[in-house]
Amino acid sequence: MTAPPVFDARGLSKRFHMGQATVEALRGVDLQVSAGEVLVVAGPSGSGKSTLLHLLGTLDEPDAGALTIDGTPASSMGEAERTAFRRIRLGFVFQTFNLLPVLSAQENVELPLWLAGVSSGERRRRAHEALAEVGLGARRGHRPDQLSGGERQRVAIARALVHRPLAVLADEPTGNLDSGTAAEVMELLMSLNRAHGTVFVIATHDAALIARAPRRVALHDGRVASDERKASA
Amino acid sequence: MKLALLALRNLARNRRRTAISLAVVATGTAALLLTAGFMAFSFEGLSEAMIHGGLGHLEIALGSASAGRTATLERSPAEGLDDWEVVQRQVEALPGVLAASPTVHVAGMVSTASGTSAAFLGVAGDPARERRMGFSVKLRQGDPVPDAPPREGEDRVMIAQGLAQALGVGPGSRVTLLAVDLEGMLNALDVTVAGLITTGVQELDTRYLRLSLGSAQRLLGTTRVSNLLVTLDRTSRTEEALASVRSVLAGHQPPLAVVPWTERAPFYAQVEALYVGIFWFLGTIVFALVVLATSNTLTMTVMERFRELGTLRALGTSVWQVAGLIGLEAVWLGLIGGVVGDVLGAGLIGLLNAIGITMPPPPGAVDPIELRVVFVPEAFGGAILLMLTVLALAAVAPVLRVARLRIVDALTHT
Repeated sequence: MTAPPVFDARGLSKRFHMGQATVEALRGVDLQVSAGEVLVVAGPSGSGKSTLLHLLGTLDEPDAGALTIDGTPASSMGEAERTAFRRIRLGFVFQTFNLLPVLSAQENVELPLWLAGVSSGERRRRAHEALAEVGLGARRGHRPDQLSGGERQRVAIARALVHRPLAVLADEPTGNLDSGTAAEVMELLMSLNRAHGTVFVIATHDAALIARAPRRVALHDGRVASDERKASA
Repeated sequence: MKLALLALRNLARNRRRTAISLAVVATGTAALLLTAGFMAFSFEGLSEAMIHGGLGHLEIALGSASAGRTATLERSPAEGLDDWEVVQRQVEALPGVLAASPTVHVAGMVSTASGTSAAFLGVAGDPARERRMGFSVKLRQGDPVPDAPPREGEDRVMIAQGLAQALGVGPGSRVTLLAVDLEGMLNALDVTVAGLITTGVQELDTRYLRLSLGSAQRLLGTTRVSNLLVTLDRTSRTEEALASVRSVLAGHQPPLAVVPWTERAPFYAQVEALYVGIFWFLGTIVFALVVLATSNTLTMTVMERFRELGTLRALGTSVWQVAGLIGLEAVWLGLIGGVVGDVLGAGLIGLLNAIGITMPPPPGAVDPIELRVVFVPEAFGGAILLMLTVLALAAVAPVLRVARLRIVDALTHT
């Protein structure tokens, strides 16, 4: 028996109203993402990459279509359930890192565990491990403003993975990094995927990152223009 | 990691803005403490001045004479106590009672040998007891009336300055008191002016005089007294003493009324109502200022941290936890500002009392008063609670804003 896809999107549509104008951000997107996959969603600005990630991450609701995450229809979840679902099953990485500036790297990584009610000793241990895994074990006491851009994004990745989520949704994770650091971050994501089997859905228009992705979904004007897998993937 | 700790750290992010908000809260708190302390001083000062200025803590009079009556200098002994010495002994045996002093009120005309005359209101008492009771006669010139009962022909009076001025008399002058006695006959008593006094109230000074109990009784042809004034060792014992005196005198015939000073001092109640009104007026202004200032700060805090709040929501923080974070920042502002305000207020109270500012006489009074601000312990806790309430109110709009936050809008906010 085949395991259900982690994400199963059917005909997802999303519209935004900007004054008198209506923007069709997504127009009937079908997408299935299986366990352990790394998927890059590529496309120019305004193609709907971020909107798709927001819907997959239950941060927003589609106007039409259906989304099932790990067998659970997203439409059946209320606000509190979606919040709890994100807390337990999903991780997020943002282009601007979005770390809390008043917390140290260690405390930022502990945040999802604290929200999940994990005990303080267990939180410390797991956050320490996650930071060590992204190569920042020695920088855990530093606050975000004491870290470089690459280090901040590593902290954000550790935060996204520390609670062992089903999937991590990363919106332009290398957008604010130089090419060398971006390559390091991409390598880190791939190695974490191999180590934990966590699904990564990465929205980007970074050509180097797209080229390395095992699966590439290109969006154009809110539609899936192509869905390619590397032969070796 | 606790939400409260996170809220506290967030306050430290924009130190200048937080310092200004704290200064507003602390200043408001200190202002309330100073106002409350000044009010307490005023109430305490006024009540003690009235009690020791001749009102006493309790008045014992015939029940028929006291019904519905406040403090007055025109309480004739026609409806007075015959067996007042028995009552006096009973009452003075009670714990907490300093003394029960008889008084006789007499009204009439006072005239001089040169034919100048004026109406007077006289009060006679027991000088030794009144001293024990802390009754203060403000002697400005000459001597007080002797403690010993005067022999016939040796009666002496103390005349208020305004009345003495109107009559053109001073210490050593001879004047004649004319009054209607209890039989309805006009009676006269020649007396010597022993000294000049002031009541502290300008209007009363034009009619007031004091004489010894014996002189007043001789003038009115009676051995009765108008009432007994009871003074206690502490004003706070008034209610307790009222109950015990009433109990002791319960079987007296004719029935006696025991009235606390608060019921005989409508002026005090009026002043209290006025001050409380002023306090609420000032309090409302402080309340509004603190709400406006801190609400603005908290709203700016939310606006500047939209993306961060959106991130928290994306990571699975509930809407009420995020709203609670803003609420807790408000609580910290109220708590820290309140405590700083308490310290500031205590310092200012100490400073003002140490400097010793003399204020001009209040309206209608004669003597200047020294400003004192009382430490009111309840006000210190109350002010902090009030500030917490104020900040909770100020946080309502920002918290509602957070509650309505759309995560995707917050994450893309610039």
